Amino acid sequence: MRVRPAFVFISLIVLLLCFSVWHIGAGAIDIAPLDVFKALHSSDSEHNFIVNNFRLPRLLISGLVGAALAISGLLIQGVIRNPLASPDVLGVTSGASLAVITLAVFWPNAPISYIPPAALLGGFGATALLLFLARHLLQRPAAFALVGIALAATFGAAIDYLLTVNPLEINTAMLWLTGSVWGRNWNHLPLIAPWLAVLMPLAMLLAYRLDLLALGDDTATSLGTGVKKLRLLCIVVAISLASAAVSVCGSIGFVGLVSPHLVRSLLGHRHLLLIPATALTGAILVISADLFARILMPPIELPAGILTAFIGAPYFIFLLCRYKNW
Amino acid sequence: MFKLIATCLFALLSFNLSAQNKVQDEMGEFSIQTTPKRIVVLEFSFVDALASLGVSPVGVADDGDANRVIPAIKSKISPWTSVGGRSTPNLEIISSLKPDMIIADMERHATIYEDLKKIAPTLILKSRGESYKDNLAAVAKIGIVLDQDVKMQQLIAEHNQRMDAFAKKINSDKKFLFAVSSTRGVTMHSPKAYAGGVMERLGLRSAIPEETEKAYVRTTLERLVKANPDYLLVGEYGDQTAVDDFKKSPLWNMISSVKNKTYLETNPKLWSLNRGMIAAEIMAQELESVIK
Repeated sequence: MRVRPAFVFISLIVLLLCFSVWHIGAGAIDIAPLDVFKALHSSDSEHNFIVNNFRLPRLLISGLVGAALAISGLLIQGVIRNPLASPDVLGVTSGASLAVITLAVFWPNAPISYIPPAALLGGFGATALLLFLARHLLQRPAAFALVGIALAATFGAAIDYLLTVNPLEINTAMLWLTGSVWGRNWNHLPLIAPWLAVLMPLAMLLAYRLDLLALGDDTATSLGTGVKKLRLLCIVVAISLASAAVSVCGSIGFVGLVSPHLVRSLLGHRHLLLIPATALTGAILVISADLFARILMPPIELPAGILTAFIGAPYFIFLLCRYKNW
Repeated sequence: MFKLIATCLFALLSFNLSAQNKVQDEMGEFSIQTTPKRIVVLEFSFVDALASLGVSPVGVADDGDANRVIPAIKSKISPWTSVGGRSTPNLEIISSLKPDMIIADMERHATIYEDLKKIAPTLILKSRGESYKDNLAAVAKIGIVLDQDVKMQQLIAEHNQRMDAFAKKINSDKKFLFAVSSTRGVTMHSPKAYAGGVMERLGLRSAIPEETEKAYVRTTLERLVKANPDYLLVGEYGDQTAVDDFKKSPLWNMISSVKNKTYLETNPKLWSLNRGMIAAEIMAQELESVIK
C-alpha cells in the first residue's frame, strides 16, 4: 500500500490539526471549535484561562513527546534492524523510572522539579551502561538488543522491589510512572522542545546513511558508510530523544514501536521521508491519547500512557495481520 | 486593561478593612486578604474541617464519588462539584468553579502547586499520611484563614473535652489495631497514622507500638498473628478482599481478637479516608461500643 508521499504528509497534518482542535476544545469543560480560536486570540474570552494555562501546554507537550518517542523508535528499529526494537526494549524507560523512584524513596523531600533531571540522568545512565556492557556487540544488533532487554528486566526488578518495600512513599513517582500529561504546564516545555529541535535535524542528516544501512552492513560499508560509528551515533540520538520524552511525561509505551511501522507501511524505506512522517504520527498518537484520557470519564483523569496502548495496539495487530512483509 | 485596574482598585478598597490572615503552610507563609467564600478542597480531611465550621466547599476532589464523604459530614454541608480524583484533580474544573481559595495536600499536590496558585490562593497542608496531631494543627490553620479563629479554637477545645470523656469511659489496657484491606493486601495503621493516633488519644495501646516511622505497614497473616491485637478493626475496600483469604487460614483463629470475638469490620471511609474531628469522635463512639 505505497501512497504518494505528498498525500501522506497532507493527511497526517490535517489529522494532527483536527486532533489538536478537538484536544483543546474537549474536556471536563467543553469549548466549541469556534470559541477555541477566540480563546487563543483574545484574553477577554471566558475560556482563555483554561486554554492557555492547561490545554495548550498539554497539547504541545503531548505532541513533542510523541514525536520524540516515535523518532527514537524509528532510529532504533533502523540500526538494530529488528521490527520489535523500541526505546523501552533498550532499558531507557526503566532506567529513567528507576532513577525517579530511587529519588522518591531515598530523598522523599526532594523538590518536585528534580524529577525530570533525575529521569534524564537515569535514561542516560542506563544507556551508558548498555553501551559499556555491549561495546563488543555493536556489530551484532540482535545481541545488542538482548543485552538491552536483560538490563531493562534488571531495572524492572529493582523498581518492583522498591515499590513493594515502600508502597506509600512514592505517590508522586507512581503517578509519573504511568506516563501522564496531567499537571504539565509551560514550565515543562523547555525540557523537551530543545532536544527535539536539535536532534530531529541531526536525524534527518543521518537519513541517507540509514537508508544504506538498511541494505545490510556489508553493502553499506562498501558504499562508504562507517557502519559502527553510524550505529553508535543513531543509538545515542535515539536514546537522548527517548530520555527527554520520558523525563517530562514518564513512560508512554507503544508510541515508539507502532508509529514507525505505520509510516513504513505507507511510505517505504526512505528515512528522509520517514523521520518527519513518524514524528507526526507519534504526535497524533499521544495527543489523541491525552484527549481520550481527559474525556472518557470526566472529571477523573486517566494516564495517557494507558491509552496509547489501547489506541495503538489494535491498529498494530491489524497491521501485522494485513502485511506479512516484515 | 482599564477595567482590570478598576476592578483591582475596587477589590483593594472594599477589602482593605478586613484583616489580613497569615499562617505558615507547608510551602512557607500563606496570607489572604479576604475571607474566602468559594473554597475548593483536594482532600477529605479538609472537608471535615470546613464542615465543623459549617462552611460548604464549592468543589471537592472526591474521586468522582460523593459518597466517599461520610454522611455525618455530608449532612452538614451543601452539595459540591466533584473536581476529580485526589491524586490527579481536574485543574480545568477547579478553575471553572472560580474559587477564591484552594486547600491542597502537601504530598499529593505539591506537583501542581504552581498551577493551583494561578487559579486561586492555595493553602497547602498535610493530609495524606497525617497523624492525629498534624490534623488538629491543620484544622487550626484553616480556622485562621477562614477568619474564624476564635470559633475554631472553641470547636477544638470542645472536641478535646469530648475525646477526654471518651478516654475516661473507654479505659482499657488491651492492644488495639486498625487495618484496611483491599484486593491487593492488608495494611496496618500504626500510631503514626490517623486512626492509630485517635486510639492513642483515647489512651489505648497499639498492637504495633514498634512502628514509629511508618504510618501504614503492609502485613501478612503471620505478622498480624504476631502483633496479636485484642481488638482488631478492619476496614474493607470491596466485598471480597485480602482479609477474607486470611480468614480461611487456621492461623486466623489464633489472633486473640478473633478468639474473643472482638473482631470488627468497620467502614474504611470513616476510619481512613475522612480524617478530622467529626470522624474522630464517631471512631471513638464505635470503639466505646465495641469494647467489653
